Amino acid sequence: MKAVQSLYTIAPMLLATIGVVGLFQTFISPETLHALFSGSIWSDTFVGTLVGGVSVGQPVISYVIGGELLEEGISLYAITAFILAWVTLGVVQLPLEASIFGARFTLVRNVLTVVFAMLIAFAVGMTISLLA
Amino acid sequence: MKQQTKKRANYFGWFFLLAVAISYITLAFASPDKASQSLLHALDILKQVIPILAVVLFLTALLNTFVQPKSIAGHLGKESGIKGWLLALTGGLLSHGSTYIWYPILQDLRLNGARNGLIVAFFYARAIKLPWLPMMISYFGLTFTLTLSFYTLLGALFQGLIADKLLEKPKD
Repeated sequence: MKAVQSLYTIAPMLLATIGVVGLFQTFISPETLHALFSGSIWSDTFVGTLVGGVSVGQPVISYVIGGELLEEGISLYAITAFILAWVTLGVVQLPLEASIFGARFTLVRNVLTVVFAMLIAFAVGMTISLLA
Repeated sequence: MKQQTKKRANYFGWFFLLAVAISYITLAFASPDKASQSLLHALDILKQVIPILAVVLFLTALLNTFVQPKSIAGHLGKESGIKGWLLALTGGLLSHGSTYIWYPILQDLRLNGARNGLIVAFFYARAIKLPWLPMMISYFGLTFTLTLSFYTLLGALFQGLIADKLLEKPKD
């Protein structure tokens, strides 16, 4: 019964979130994403995190886009941040997360996620360079 | 307090849903193709979400029926130690579906004494998508996939530790 109550509480927000995800999938294409990268490792890693954070869809879509971007010369740092942010950050889900967990928890979690997407991207990029 | 949070979430949810519905209706007039495309995307997502939601609902019901808050606090609370971290990281690794489906069950655990850090670690460990790993290997290679997975787990652990510190309630 409590579980059904929980579902009732999140149902409108869940449906709204799914609706927004549908809109994002229509309006944000891989071409739109590619246009945002400039070629600089630092700014591209930051852009990768932000773009991954606002993007939505199955993780495999981020691999396909990431693979294409890599072939076109975008750095592995940026691609890693993009793939990580794609699955860990959810700008679209923020209102739902905040309404359930509270603003403070949501803020702390998401700020940490942004920072760690970039830190892990650099750690992965440097490790791969060392191993190569 | 808990009831108040739920009520607030519900009001905000309905308001948000209304705003999204208005956006769709407006888009339907401005660009019917885009509106129907968006709606189809949304319905596709809904179809994927429903079965997992049913599983989560079942798990929540089981948890509420058979697991006492005291026992949750023991396994995932302040004194949970390494066992708590292992549970959070393994749970994150094995959990399926969209993140938002897991919100209610995680908040239930949290309200029953689970540490904030473990919830944060669970969320981040979900970045490793076990079913999609072969696909990631085919795109980026085994070395990249293993390195990223290793750092992701490490990152989940560190984020959990930092979140515990930042979200610690001040002692009276």
